[in-house]
Amino acid sequence: MAIVPGMTKLTAPYWDAARDGRLVVQECRSCGRLTHPPLPACPDCHSTELGWREVSGHGTVYTYTVVRHPTHFAFADRVPYVIALVELAEGPRLISGITGIAPDEVRVGMPVRVVFREVADGVTLPYFEPAP
Amino acid sequence: MTRRPVIRNTAAIVGIGQTAYAKALEPTAWELAVDAILSACADAGVDVADVDGMCRFTAPFETVSEAMLVRALGIRELAFFAQAPHGGEALGAVVAHAAAAVSAGLANIVVVYRALSQSKGGRFGRADRGGPGGAAAEGAGDIVVPEQDNLSFAWPYGLMSPGQLFALWARRYAAVHHLTEEELTRTLGTIAITQRQYANNNPAAMMRDRKLDWETYAGARMISEPLRLFDLCLENDGACAFVVTSAEVARTLRGDPVYVLAATQTLAPYREPMGIYVPGELLELFPSAAADRLFEQAGVTRKDIDVAEFYDATSYMPLRSLESYGFAADGQGWRYVLEQGTGPDSPLPVNTHGGHLSEAYLHGMNGIVEAVRQLRGTASNQVAGAAVALVGAPAGSATILAR
Repeated sequence: MAIVPGMTKLTAPYWDAARDGRLVVQECRSCGRLTHPPLPACPDCHSTELGWREVSGHGTVYTYTVVRHPTHFAFADRVPYVIALVELAEGPRLISGITGIAPDEVRVGMPVRVVFREVADGVTLPYFEPAP
Repeated sequence: MTRRPVIRNTAAIVGIGQTAYAKALEPTAWELAVDAILSACADAGVDVADVDGMCRFTAPFETVSEAMLVRALGIRELAFFAQAPHGGEALGAVVAHAAAAVSAGLANIVVVYRALSQSKGGRFGRADRGGPGGAAAEGAGDIVVPEQDNLSFAWPYGLMSPGQLFALWARRYAAVHHLTEEELTRTLGTIAITQRQYANNNPAAMMRDRKLDWETYAGARMISEPLRLFDLCLENDGACAFVVTSAEVARTLRGDPVYVLAATQTLAPYREPMGIYVPGELLELFPSAAADRLFEQAGVTRKDIDVAEFYDATSYMPLRSLESYGFAADGQGWRYVLEQGTGPDSPLPVNTHGGHLSEAYLHGMNGIVEAVRQLRGTASNQVAGAAVALVGAPAGSATILAR
């Protein structure tokens, strides 16, 4: 059993790209602003000409927590696990998980890169692992 | 542009009421709300039938509706009722709505209430069957998180509770301000233990008889690092309520009305409570202009505040609130806590009822009730001569009250 994102017209392209192994961020076609999570209009220039830009997948751990007590039964056998706010090299921050490292070794500022993990049939989540 | 203060001294809290607070109470939230409101009206010296306004939190936080209460209490007619979103961040909002309503003449006697029955479902520490808006039945295959307020970008990673979110803030705070693990633990623990000591002297506090020492605090299990068990608030049943009326009417009802100097709301992009996508520095959840507006409308300065009740779903929140409301410099709140503390002899006693960590969790509303007691001079942990109190939430909803 997994917890999977519900998708709307606005958010589905993000998850579709993840399924294809690409990390994308909403981009304003008018002024170039990158926004995550996506919005129905650009808050800077109010354009509704919005698309998606593939980003490098590189970033740093902006902050994190090691969860040792699950608050949902779906995560009961997953503790300890790491939730992180990752700041992408391109600027936007996104919530993700950190994999490929012991939870106790995660640090703020640590360089990370995206990896893709299929969590359910047809559903892939971007995760991050330490960058070499 | 200076705004003309619209509330200052024109509205007052004239009655307070509360039920017992406990992990599980037999009555339903509806029954608890009725009990607390009747107590508050009796304390105010008003007939509940004369109540003509109500303010409350939106669902799913508040499950007891105005309609249920009007029926159960035999209230003739409400002429004003309003709801505020964002859970605990509504603590200043409901005061603002009530005070604005009586100041504008929309209502005369406004009841503000909060009733919780977490034992019967709706535990804020659970994101599944037990939690408000919790996802799906057990064993039913994959759980699809409906996209609302960006939860679909958080829940699949197991970020599902306020405690986990504020662990992200606490970790960021320690990193930005270069705290060692020991310093972070000492800081959060000082807040938790100080509040427990207040609760030990508060007959209404759930933790009245439970001492908390350093060994127990630091040895408790990690819930979501760096937050340990005692850094997180209680989960409980209970209700509290208060009565807001015009200053003029208040003076006819009691000799000790507590005046509303200011009550403010604030909402800027991603600065909603738990707004993890705050642009710029995450720690700056609370726009500082909103704090300035609160004090400007109240017509007082930080030095005038005798006691503060800060919303504390976690111990991190009072720490950061000391900074964001301007009682300690940015990044110096932890030193302030370690050096001055928040206890009875500190420059600013904080959460003198024990707070959500040790009295009970009533979404900030028991902080308002405690502030009223402090200003009446009837608190268990009375701050001598308390004349002005601040009650504030971490993203900026707040009120300043005065006797």
